[in-house]
Amino acid sequence: MAHQVNNIDFRRHLDRSFWSVTLVLAVISVILVVLIAIWPINGTLAVAATSDYGIDALFKFMLFVATPIFVFVNGYVVYFARRYKHRSDEPADAVGIPLYGVVPLEIWWTVIPVFLMVVLGVWSAVTLFSLYKPQAGALNVEAIGHQWKFELRYPGLKSSFYGDFYLPVNRPVTMNITSADVIHSFWVPQFRVKLDMVPGMVQQLHFTPTEVGSYPLICTEFCGIGHGDMRTTVHVVSQADYAKWFSGTQQKVAQAAAAAGSLNLTAGDAAKGQAVFEQKCSVCHSMAAFAQKKVGPGLQNILSDPAHPKLVDGSAATPESVAHIIQNGYSGDIGVMPNAQANGLSSSDVSNLVAYLKSQSK
Amino acid sequence: MSTDTIEILRRADKPIHPAPESFIKKYIFSVDHKVVGIQYFIVSGLMILLSGLFAEAIRVQLTGPHNTFLTPQQFDEAFTFHGTLMVWFGAIPLVTGAFGNFVMPLQIGARDVAFPWLNMFSFWTFPPAVLILLSSLAFGAPNAGWTEYPPVSLQAGVGIVFWTTAVFTVGIGATLTALNFLTTVIKMRAPGMTFTRMPLFVWASAVTAVLSLVATTALASALGSLFLSHVFNVPFYDPTRGGTVVLFQHMFWFYSHPAVYILIIPVFGIVSEIIPTFARKPIFGYKLIAYSTVSIALLSFMVWAHHMFTSGLGPWVTMPFMILSMLIAVPTGIKIFSWTATLFGSNLRLTTAMLFVLGFLSTFTIGGITGVMLASVPVDWHEHATYFLVAHIHYVLFGGTLMGVLGGIYYWWPKVTGRLMSEKLGKWHFWLTFIFFNATFLPMHFVGLLGMPRRVAYYDPAFHGLNLFISISAFLLAGAFLLLFANAFWSLKKGPAAGPNPWGARTLEWMISSPPPHYNFKEIPEVYATPYGYGEPLPYSAPYDQVSTTPTY
Repeated sequence: MAHQVNNIDFRRHLDRSFWSVTLVLAVISVILVVLIAIWPINGTLAVAATSDYGIDALFKFMLFVATPIFVFVNGYVVYFARRYKHRSDEPADAVGIPLYGVVPLEIWWTVIPVFLMVVLGVWSAVTLFSLYKPQAGALNVEAIGHQWKFELRYPGLKSSFYGDFYLPVNRPVTMNITSADVIHSFWVPQFRVKLDMVPGMVQQLHFTPTEVGSYPLICTEFCGIGHGDMRTTVHVVSQADYAKWFSGTQQKVAQAAAAAGSLNLTAGDAAKGQAVFEQKCSVCHSMAAFAQKKVGPGLQNILSDPAHPKLVDGSAATPESVAHIIQNGYSGDIGVMPNAQANGLSSSDVSNLVAYLKSQSK
Repeated sequence: MSTDTIEILRRADKPIHPAPESFIKKYIFSVDHKVVGIQYFIVSGLMILLSGLFAEAIRVQLTGPHNTFLTPQQFDEAFTFHGTLMVWFGAIPLVTGAFGNFVMPLQIGARDVAFPWLNMFSFWTFPPAVLILLSSLAFGAPNAGWTEYPPVSLQAGVGIVFWTTAVFTVGIGATLTALNFLTTVIKMRAPGMTFTRMPLFVWASAVTAVLSLVATTALASALGSLFLSHVFNVPFYDPTRGGTVVLFQHMFWFYSHPAVYILIIPVFGIVSEIIPTFARKPIFGYKLIAYSTVSIALLSFMVWAHHMFTSGLGPWVTMPFMILSMLIAVPTGIKIFSWTATLFGSNLRLTTAMLFVLGFLSTFTIGGITGVMLASVPVDWHEHATYFLVAHIHYVLFGGTLMGVLGGIYYWWPKVTGRLMSEKLGKWHFWLTFIFFNATFLPMHFVGLLGMPRRVAYYDPAFHGLNLFISISAFLLAGAFLLLFANAFWSLKKGPAAGPNPWGARTLEWMISSPPPHYNFKEIPEVYATPYGYGEPLPYSAPYDQVSTTPTY
């Protein structure tokens, strides 16, 4: 194509009117960018944790870059549409200038966006890696998604609980999140963190709550008909209030466990335990050597085999530690086992199962 | 059909298939690409309407934070059907099956697509798929959203089996159409039409065909695994039996990310045709627009995991996906800037089609900007799966795809029907659509950023005011579409005759009568240059160089 760009014709349109509009658009862009710069995002949506890690600053940077692009595209579209609109006194077959392209301009609007995207990419990557950095002395909390509630486990609490929970202010937190059934998501908008709770997988969120207050914990991944109501509250409180809440919860959890029937491992019935094993456990476990894996490991001789590896929670296999795993479930590198509640096991089922496992450990 | 046969049919002065005589051969089981295109247009148009009704049902529910208009179960079915119908049964068949079929062969000076019978077959996979999908409503509809992530999707009843079967079936048609289009563009172009002389809509159709052809197989695996999981209890997605739930997301998005470009690239083509026609000047940077389409397509295969930044992939996996996703903004930006630059020094005709394209430039730019925001992993952690994401996808697919498609409808309607639409009614339609589109979807960004997740039947009462505003705007947006139907009916009954080239365009479809005759071109034209040289003689062999390019509407 030997099309000759008529440069005189094209320059003629870069007149006073064009440059004044360009100037106006530039001024509008600058004003908007300044307004964005002084806009406290914190005032619109509070930031209550360090996990912000500059997420808001990144968001602002993107608004800075986006604003001139938006203003200039829209501004020029409106300006060109008004300026070059076909007038009724022009002939019907009037045409525009034969401008097929301006190579330097095309190079600029390729190179500048590449540069901006690289800056944005590098900045985002640096922020990204800081999100994955665990902090020293972090409080390890486990959050498990269920249809349709959040289960929380704290170190030092004998069993888990559902619903509202508390975090001490200014202490790093590592949230270990997973799910017992379908994919859920863990989102506290004021913490600016969100990760999916994926069954069969444990993910960690690292953040330090910095502002005392109550914030919503929201499930954002569609999880069935209860999804819209799957939310709870996370309370960020002072160290003293946290200690008070923790000991109160300790008592409540203990009372609830007592009410549910205490576990009496000496009263277990091996025959009944076998029936429960065949009905519930044998889907995943065989009564064979440890290495005879179905989904979970084989369980024969679990209490007597000196070669048997330590239990998945690191403890040696004792009736108590085995009972603990049956009750609380397991989620980790060798798989996922639902807890007693999810498996429909009562306290007496657990003690019967332990008795059965004992009887199979020769 | 061997290459030789195609060559012979292309050059010989005889039809690729004889003119049909019976009603059934002419209108039902037609092998004519124009009829197939119209069939696709009607069915996918109906699907978009149905999908729109589901969307309005969603908005009625969300007029109140704890509304009882729909049960949560019905609400979940409504957004599942809205998304499924819109993506696979509405927009994709519309931009490929309808626009691609009708316009692309005409623009390359061909008498039909390469495999006319296969084209008819592709279309006829579509109505059965629709029936399968809709019949699931009677047996327990699928309800986990158009993405149908397991395990939650597997908890539903038999509906998921209907859903996978229906989408699979429509995928067969899409794959065959892609194969057909690609062969057509490669083998059936008029003599002299080199790749760099092709109209930009043809570029777009060819690139889209490559995307469909490659990506749909991944979708088939995703659907197949879901089907097997539900019907035969295969534990692909059951972690207690060694499955991995995230695997589905990889397969699904390996298709569905390119699918986003299957939805938008043909619209880039439509926009690139409409702008030079009404600006009355050559498109700015033809080659850069064409090559940026190709680079978008290549990049689109390498960014699927940006839909999964919260799924637990880890920083070393998400980082490259993030940077590649951001780079897509570069070729997309090139297009936006080139289109805007085409308006510079133009002699602009502000027809309805052109107004929709200018609207597209404005709204699609916003969709592109929010896309970059979502591509940055840390920011995505806050925004993912909220109404911000809903706003983004609607700025891209409604403000982008649908806005461009509406422009395309107003643009090619005279060619298809031989009659003009009312410009006055059309302009009303545009302004109402543009205003209420923004009123509906702009506030969604804010409710999302402030903490409203998507796919919820109930929400925090703090968001009530904004949601009510969004819902009312959505009803008015739907109302605006009545003007389009009124315009279409008026045009079919009373519209003035269009003549071959009412807009004074220069691509080949405007060089023949409206509607085009059965064989399209009595003689196959020879092509000497790109079609966009406004102000110069037409670059075609006689008699096509004699057509008037003076607008007559």
